[in-house]
Amino acid sequence: MAGERAIEVNSLRRDFVVGRRSKRRDVVAVDGISFDVGAGERLAFIGPNGAGKSTSIKMLTGILHPTSGAATVLGIVPWTDRRALTRRIGTLFGQRSQLWSELVPRSSLRMLGAIYGLDDAGLERRIDELAELFEARELFEQPVRTLSLGQRMRCELAACMLHQPELLFLDEPTIGLDLTGKQRFRELLVHLNTELGTTVFLTSHDVADIEHVADRAIVVNHGSIVNDASVAEMRSGLLGRKRIEVGLAEAAGVVGGLVTTLFDSFGEDIDVVERSAGMLSIDVNTGRRPIREVLDHLLGAVAVVDLSVVDPPLEQVIGEIYERPQ
Amino acid sequence: MTATSAVQSGAVITRERGHLIRASVLTRRVMGTAARRVVGARSGLAVIGLFYLLVTAVLGSLWLTAANANGGSIAGYSTVAIVWYIATTESGTISVPMRLIEDIGLDISSGQVAAEMQRPVSVLWMRVLTEVGTCLPRLLLCLSVGTVFALAVVGAPPDATTLPLAAISIVLAVTLNLIAQHLFAGAAFWLSDAKSTWFLYQKLVFILGGMLLPIEVLPDGLEAVARFLPFVAMAYAPARLASGHFEPWLVALQLGWIVLAAAGATWLYRRGERRIMRVG
Repeated sequence: MAGERAIEVNSLRRDFVVGRRSKRRDVVAVDGISFDVGAGERLAFIGPNGAGKSTSIKMLTGILHPTSGAATVLGIVPWTDRRALTRRIGTLFGQRSQLWSELVPRSSLRMLGAIYGLDDAGLERRIDELAELFEARELFEQPVRTLSLGQRMRCELAACMLHQPELLFLDEPTIGLDLTGKQRFRELLVHLNTELGTTVFLTSHDVADIEHVADRAIVVNHGSIVNDASVAEMRSGLLGRKRIEVGLAEAAGVVGGLVTTLFDSFGEDIDVVERSAGMLSIDVNTGRRPIREVLDHLLGAVAVVDLSVVDPPLEQVIGEIYERPQ
Repeated sequence: MTATSAVQSGAVITRERGHLIRASVLTRRVMGTAARRVVGARSGLAVIGLFYLLVTAVLGSLWLTAANANGGSIAGYSTVAIVWYIATTESGTISVPMRLIEDIGLDISSGQVAAEMQRPVSVLWMRVLTEVGTCLPRLLLCLSVGTVFALAVVGAPPDATTLPLAAISIVLAVTLNLIAQHLFAGAAFWLSDAKSTWFLYQKLVFILGGMLLPIEVLPDGLEAVARFLPFVAMAYAPARLASGHFEPWLVALQLGWIVLAAAGATWLYRRGERRIMRVG
């Protein structure tokens, strides 16, 4: 599978006509984007509301024609051969359910199995496999309405995997889940990817989903790709920023004076992101100012009991990418 | 036929048989699952049963009084026949969701239908099968309650030999009603709102379909028009048969309307789905 492409997108564009009569105008939802996704890759496709994520997913799953451009998903042009594609992909939308709330998941899975043409014996075997894989044997026998959201989403993911799709499209799958539920769900996605080689195409506003699931992130804004890099690259070098977190031995009054001297020395090359009695957190623009200079200044100015240099949180990185001028 | 073509045609037959088996498994599974969902919600069934009993009791009493006042029959229906007519026609219409058109319209405008397009089966036929499966337990309940009611009020049906045909006819009536509601709701692909079509549709079934009154009671001109419309096949046909009239052509008429409505709905949903793909 290595080297194969699960998705190939070339200058894909989608315009919508909005308004009526004289106020009618074209709005560009997706503006000629191009990218590839390798088989077995875990891709986060992210962007603010209205960036073009959902429109892109609709085109890639075959339910929306592009205005222009080309794309293939698993070698299939989605909008010309949608039915064939549905047999090879799975889709999970956080706010839509495939399971009937009055019934136990096993009943819905049996029905979905018939939809995907699985024979009875194969279907029961597959449901048992999924129960094992998702540690959901008991959940499959409880009415869906009695399950917690986290349990239901595990069953929804199992339903998506029933026909053994090669590629999973997930749109905000962890929305509304509690911390444990999110963690569990992310682990399952990574597990599906590493054990079964399922390609993952994920959109989410939750940065932790991206950090824990994806190995690459494409950021879209105003219909265009504004960044395409590995999650590790995004975190470390992309913006040339590092965060210094300092624990101070001295009393609270010291921090104010220290901040003043820092700004006097480094001006706009630093940014204080957090300050409290015994702690200071500073972002340094390492593209303009070597981090060593700031560290030397700190160590020379105050008694430091603890110091760490880390990448700024991904959330901040993504926020800054969103805010870049177009 | 050459050996190769024989093998090829054999492969085609196997493939077609495979399709047929798959379609029958899918039909059974979808309808069965939908029926289990309804049976599981006992309180919902109880409400439908009570509502049916109330409507049938009111309308049955009304028509019974009218027939008695008219010398023991009305528009050719005896007191016994008219009560069996009402009990049957109400079963067929009350077991079908009242505002299905509105629900389908909402699903089209909310994007639910678009999400269902991401499955390897027809959106329309999955929905119709689900609804038929949902209606069958309700129909069975209403028919049971209706039979007990009619037996208690007027006794045995006028002609028991027409009942098997009436049983087939009422399933066809429900099926046609569901397909036709999908057909009417298909307007939402273009209008983004099917509420108005629901209102119109319901009134047509009530009056021109023979649900509130046998169509023979309508003025001559209106009765003639009603006989040319599909609504008689949804409410009047099974009730006419259950009220002791052996008229097998009514079942043929129902089948004809089912074929027409199915063809129309298939055509409409294909166009509607294409519109979703084009417009979003």
